[in-house]
Amino acid sequence: MGGGNAHFALVPVQGLLGQGWSSDNLAYMELAIQQAKLALESLEVPVGCVFIKDGKVIASGRNRTNETRNATRHAEMEAIDILLEKWQRDGLSKSDVAETFSKCILYVTCEPCIMCAAALSILGIKEVYYGCANEKFGGCGSILSLHSSALSHLSEVPQRKGFKCTGGLLASEAVSLFRSFYEQGNPNAPKPHRPLVQKEVE
Amino acid sequence: MDKHTPQIIHIPDKPRVPPSQQPTVNVYASIIEPKHANTLVRRLNQIAPLENLRHVRRIRRRHLQVQGGSPELSVILCLACENETQFNSMPPDVQEIVNSYNLCPFITKVSKYAALSKEEWDEQCKLWPTSYHPLTYNIDGITGFSEEDTKSVFSFMKSAVELAKSGDGLVVNAAVIVDPSAGLIIASACDEVCSWHMPTNKVKTETCCFKQLETFTSHADANRIVRDITMLSNGSSNNLQQCYTAISCLNPWQWAQHAFHRSHCYWHPLRHAAIVAVEASAARDRHLFPGSGYNEKLYEVDCTHSSSSISTTKRQKIVNLANVNNGGEHDAHIEGSHSLARPYLCTGYDIYLVWEPCTMCAMGLVHQRIRRIFYAFPNPEAGALGSVHRLQGEKSLNHHYAVFRVVLPEEVIGRTKLKL
Repeated sequence: MGGGNAHFALVPVQGLLGQGWSSDNLAYMELAIQQAKLALESLEVPVGCVFIKDGKVIASGRNRTNETRNATRHAEMEAIDILLEKWQRDGLSKSDVAETFSKCILYVTCEPCIMCAAALSILGIKEVYYGCANEKFGGCGSILSLHSSALSHLSEVPQRKGFKCTGGLLASEAVSLFRSFYEQGNPNAPKPHRPLVQKEVE
Repeated sequence: MDKHTPQIIHIPDKPRVPPSQQPTVNVYASIIEPKHANTLVRRLNQIAPLENLRHVRRIRRRHLQVQGGSPELSVILCLACENETQFNSMPPDVQEIVNSYNLCPFITKVSKYAALSKEEWDEQCKLWPTSYHPLTYNIDGITGFSEEDTKSVFSFMKSAVELAKSGDGLVVNAAVIVDPSAGLIIASACDEVCSWHMPTNKVKTETCCFKQLETFTSHADANRIVRDITMLSNGSSNNLQQCYTAISCLNPWQWAQHAFHRSHCYWHPLRHAAIVAVEASAARDRHLFPGSGYNEKLYEVDCTHSSSSISTTKRQKIVNLANVNNGGEHDAHIEGSHSLARPYLCTGYDIYLVWEPCTMCAMGLVHQRIRRIFYAFPNPEAGALGSVHRLQGEKSLNHHYAVFRVVLPEEVIGRTKLKL
């Protein structure tokens, strides 16, 4: 998710709407949506997330791009920082941390952007559930597919790690938060070159 | 190319191909009578719009000498399949036009992508006329650098190179964010993947920001860079392999294998130089413009004027907070004024990186609205500005920077490549 320009096309993932979500799936995404609502209340682009390990919420995060004036401070990055700090205070080694990330599941209200998808691959996360697709910046299928593992085109050096990724979980809730946000106007976005047109595909 | 002269090479949105080998697509076209041109174009744009060929002109006008002045007009009817020889794949609506105007469709080739250069455009127009609007025509440097700008670019790259070898025997990536209009370093940082001196480091990054562009002489400077890079590639030569694996953007997935971290430091697999530099520039912004006045006041303005448009402008039209408060929506254009001007994120700023950034960093720089990226060495395994991905060419993104490789003198590059 970008912290700035409001030119999003937010699309619930149609093919997955009929999928049977487990009550756990729904409960965790509900927590991510609560985080997104906190972001909205702080005049931030409303994206929220939670990290789950062994069925427990171990960290949550929400977008803070406006507050920090740092457009890379997406919800995922906020939660990742919390985890890294906590695990190191607990004395975990690098390999412990890598091992722990490989057991984590992320629930995020919007498809991770290219930056966050790359970060999740670097950390070696196990699985991601997201709400609506991110057709402008999405790194899990919309623009790039950084969640699918790929062998290097040049050498046998182990390249990026893939992770399982499923979209469409509570997508319409995520989209309606974006709508509330863009109706009130992103206070920090540059003046659009063209009039804003919300593309709504439902 | 003079192998002793450093060069600045634009890395375009798409891989370069020789102008004569640009990809093409097949279309159906037909000669038409000039008096039908308007009607036909309007109708065809409705029933067979050329969605992905906006650079291609619908009509071709050719002056045929034999016809004594009256030009021959041809129009593109619709797309054709690549190996089509029969006219059976036209949509019914188009077929109807063909029939009612007695057209004689033929298949011709048009260029698939918009031209990036005058040379490409000239070649394209030999097939079928196209329009030419360089995507990033307004970003300085695409059309070349003045001698003065070149000096400035090398000076800033030198700063980045010096930073990259400033660690304890490790070579890391380094990033320097620059306001080119003021010749000012806004923020600089190294990789902090192995050691992140949290949280005291944050204080350091907040205060290290203000440094005037040093004066320099071009020859001495180029030579310094040569020497620096030579040291970079020769330094800690016993342990070079280990040394280079510390460059975060080259090996983003290998953080867990890094042995060298000191137990008293925090480490963070995502604190690549570009990300840390963005953080430092944001810290500088908050430091120079404390309080969240920017957000709140602009937000108030938006509300009180019940306007859906947003009062932030590109850096070229710098927002003057006072003016915005008083007057609302107008372009508070205060260049030359002495008031402190606050940029929107890194709009208008350049970043100098020793190595081409990975995907995470490259996308972070899109988010932060960097105007130009300069890097010295490509990152063939993980680079996102031409090597593996090419984010500057991803049309869907809401911001596009221009990318340049600063090629340092040839003999130095050769040596470094071998070592890599």
